[in-house]
Amino acid sequence: MRPANDVQGRDPGASRLLVKSDLVSWIRRLMDDAEVIAPAAGAGGDLMFGPVTDPASVWLGPGNPLQPPKQFVLPQTDPIVRIERNGGGVQVSSISDERARVIFGMRSCDARGMAYLRRMQATDLPDDSYLRRADRIAVVTLACTTPCTLGFCVCCDAGPFARDGHDVQLVDLGDRFLAEGATERGRAMVADAPFRPATQGDVVRRDELEREAERHFGDESAHLGAAMRRISTRRVAEELWEAMSPWCFECGGCNFICPTCYCFSVKDRCQDHGWERCRTWDSCQYSAFTLEASGHNPRERRKERIKRRFFHKVSAQYYQRDGAVGCVGCGRCVQTCLGTTDMPAVVAAIRKGVWHG
Amino acid sequence: MATVLTTCPFCTCGCGLHLQADHGHLTGSAPSEHHPVGQGKLCARGWHAHEAPTWGPRLTRPLLRRGGEPVEVSWAEAIDAVVQGLSRILADGDPIGVLGSARATNEENFLAVKLARGALRTGNVDFCLRAGLQPLIDGVAEVTGDPWPPGRLLDLERSEFILLFEGDLAETHPRAASLVAAAVKRGARLVTVGWHQTQMSRLAARHLPVDPGAGHQVIPGLLAAVLDGGSADGAGAVAADPGLAALRAGLAGLAVGEPVREVAAWYASAARASIVVGEGALLPDEARDGAAALAMLAAVTGHLGRAGSAILILPSRGNQRGALEVGVRPDALPGGVPLDDAAVIAKLRRTWSREPSVVAGLDAEAMVAGCRGLVVVAEELPAVLRAGGGGLDALASASFVVVLDSFATATARAAHAVLPVAAFGETDGTTTSLDGRVQRVRECASPPGLARPGWQVLAELVTRFGLPCTYGSIGDLHREMTDLVPLFGEIGEGQLDESWGALVSRPATGPGVHLRTVDLGRRDPVEGPCVAVFDEAFDWGSDPSVAHAPTLCRDHVARRKLFPTGFVEMNRADADRLGVRPGWAVRLTSKHGEVTVPVVVSGEVAPGMARLPFSARDRVGVVLGGRGRAGVRVERA
Ligand code: SF4
Ligand code: SF4
Repeated sequence: MRPANDVQGRDPGASRLLVKSDLVSWIRRLMDDAEVIAPAAGAGGDLMFGPVTDPASVWLGPGNPLQPPKQFVLPQTDPIVRIERNGGGVQVSSISDERARVIFGMRSCDARGMAYLRRMQATDLPDDSYLRRADRIAVVTLACTTPCTLGFCVCCDAGPFARDGHDVQLVDLGDRFLAEGATERGRAMVADAPFRPATQGDVVRRDELEREAERHFGDESAHLGAAMRRISTRRVAEELWEAMSPWCFECGGCNFICPTCYCFSVKDRCQDHGWERCRTWDSCQYSAFTLEASGHNPRERRKERIKRRFFHKVSAQYYQRDGAVGCVGCGRCVQTCLGTTDMPAVVAAIRKGVWHG
Repeated sequence: MATVLTTCPFCTCGCGLHLQADHGHLTGSAPSEHHPVGQGKLCARGWHAHEAPTWGPRLTRPLLRRGGEPVEVSWAEAIDAVVQGLSRILADGDPIGVLGSARATNEENFLAVKLARGALRTGNVDFCLRAGLQPLIDGVAEVTGDPWPPGRLLDLERSEFILLFEGDLAETHPRAASLVAAAVKRGARLVTVGWHQTQMSRLAARHLPVDPGAGHQVIPGLLAAVLDGGSADGAGAVAADPGLAALRAGLAGLAVGEPVREVAAWYASAARASIVVGEGALLPDEARDGAAALAMLAAVTGHLGRAGSAILILPSRGNQRGALEVGVRPDALPGGVPLDDAAVIAKLRRTWSREPSVVAGLDAEAMVAGCRGLVVVAEELPAVLRAGGGGLDALASASFVVVLDSFATATARAAHAVLPVAAFGETDGTTTSLDGRVQRVRECASPPGLARPGWQVLAELVTRFGLPCTYGSIGDLHREMTDLVPLFGEIGEGQLDESWGALVSRPATGPGVHLRTVDLGRRDPVEGPCVAVFDEAFDWGSDPSVAHAPTLCRDHVARRKLFPTGFVEMNRADADRLGVRPGWAVRLTSKHGEVTVPVVVSGEVAPGMARLPFSARDRVGVVLGGRGRAGVRVERA
């Protein structure tokens, strides 16, 4: 758990207030300049992120959509190159998406996910297509004052209040929101009316709420750390991976709903006059993920793929490379796993050295 | 970006998903968190449902064969030609038929029935995959008196004991497999019955090995054990059944091994116990009797009719249950009611303003072989006929074949007229899951080119044959179905939209439990140093909506690409003994014939077994002589 914030040392101008009755008009104003994406109750009663048409339908109550907002920076099928027949040859052009967007009502874990993805895409060979889209997206998070049912963000240092990845953080103070601008863009978003300066009391209340929220999780932060030590020093028995292996059904869901997973495949979609080369989500749990053209598959067995997934998510080696664990503690894989090999279950198994199914 | 809630079209578990489209293309699939079956989960197929219509070679314009070549024509021209072609055959009094499909919606299948029994006045209406499913359903029905086996998929999760006849459940019905795993995690005992190691057998408390496809081998033993072991608690309820004595007598003196005895005791003593019959578990010859025997096992132990104790028969593909229930079968009317049901006949007559055909027709195989005129609604014959590619040769003798499909299939290439229809994600309708849950599928993107929703095309054809179909919307069609398909009558107005579809329950109509002797396993014993079998699981790689979608098919494609003319899977020990490495050719010889194929080494195949892909059955099937298995000699070629 990190130390409580020092109220005095903070930039007083960064904390602003929005009375709740002004929320809708603020969202409407954001909609003038950008596509606003927010959680709302969708078909079948499922909470989903989607473009807002009616600001009153934005859901800022408890719960987080099962599908993270990752799809707005990394769509499941993302055309990136157009290939057209041009006389005898072909013409290749890039497809880019630079629409201004605001993702509103994102939770801290997902904001951490966005930060993680951006760091990955920006280093080594920067991915231009990704960055052009992502950099046009402003993120407004809502701090979690009560923990969600399946989440464990405190173990990943990703919540319950936002650490990174956001422009503005809203904290629910009852009849009003405290709005904290975390970036230049964020401070500009909360600079004008109807926002007004926060009082010292509001800021104190905010810190109380953060500490209360963290307390609600209990002291679980050691779990991931213990697993990290074992996995990084190769102290996880092969038999343990073997034992887990029949409990995964290779659906790929853990990767698809994970806010930090980014692996992709490339597929050409046929168009009238050519093709569109698409980046599509892929899963490291699929047997064909590492299948080579020769027919050789370096990770042919499922236990090798499970091991690989957790090595990337929680090993110290990757922690150093990525600057964070590859898990934000959102708890989504607990619900979506078709089997039983979700993050908390496997971490517990690594830590204890036994698998119970 | 558009998002609609729809139902996964693949394995009949019926998981709910949100389908997404962008710029008119289907781009994503996400699980529905509150779906009662899916509960926020999908398998790899479901996660890529959007790929199904996106990547295949699509039919975009009506085609007529002229001078042997397909020529693009307008819809008006195509429909005229179809009406003329079929009318000529009708006028000649030659046999004509309609094939519906497990890939079609309930609405399309209902209209296929209306086209056959109403418009063309024939009982020749069927779908190819019915042949595998019907005997299993009938076997259970014969004992229970209910037209559909008892229980729901979710019963698995709460079962204390599960007896699973495989196949390979994790591959064929992932959501069912995941519910079994959840039960095991909670402490349920799982027993698998099968001939090779599977993912589920690794979770099992006990695996009962049987010969390939011979799940029935353990059933008499289980029955005998519960009957003499005194663990037949429910015997009281069936004690009065005259068949009980015959059942006992038939089993008298049967030697039952300890493992089977123990499994029988587990089943009998569990508070809630389920039986699951997956694909490829019971070969066609034994399917009906095997399913009947399992229902008797449930009856004599008191599990039949007990809440939470299910008998789940898993259809292999998409909308099989729906196709059966709306009447795509030559031996019954919509709703599965008998051909002589006066009330239903009167309703059909009144609604259609025409005397419906209520004669028993030809089944799918016979239709393909014997009809001069054939309308094929979304069936890819080589994928779904037991004869495989051979089915297409039979089709060559038909004088007029009309194919309605979304994909440029081999069947469409053999057709005289091709009518392009919308695929999954491009049309509205309903499908019925193996649970009997009638659920919406919805349009999310438009069909390509001139393709139209299948139900509209069928409605136009029916109208042209003198049965006016004035459906302004699919809602009007639903109203007709609610009226005419007895099961659909239970679906309340608006229910399909308000909640997660409607569960169609089928109240008991029969005289209650009926026991009889079981007659299993009297077939010719298989002789030979090695037993060759088909991998009977539905071959998704041959399904047109899967075959071309990169993620959906790639596991199949890898092998298909490597071994386009088939292969044989063998245990490593056998391969070593023969001195062959993966990819090397071996010759399989049986009393039926011989075939030379490359070897794939697989840990899932037991020593002494040779597994042949069902998908390559027209190339490798000769060695099996049309059966599911045969004794073979294997040599290095
Ligand atoms: S771990 Fe779970 S979510 Fe991931 S692929 Fe396996 S079954 Fe699917
Ligand atoms: S389990 Fe079946 S219905 Fe569910 S997502 Fe997979 S293929 Fe679709």
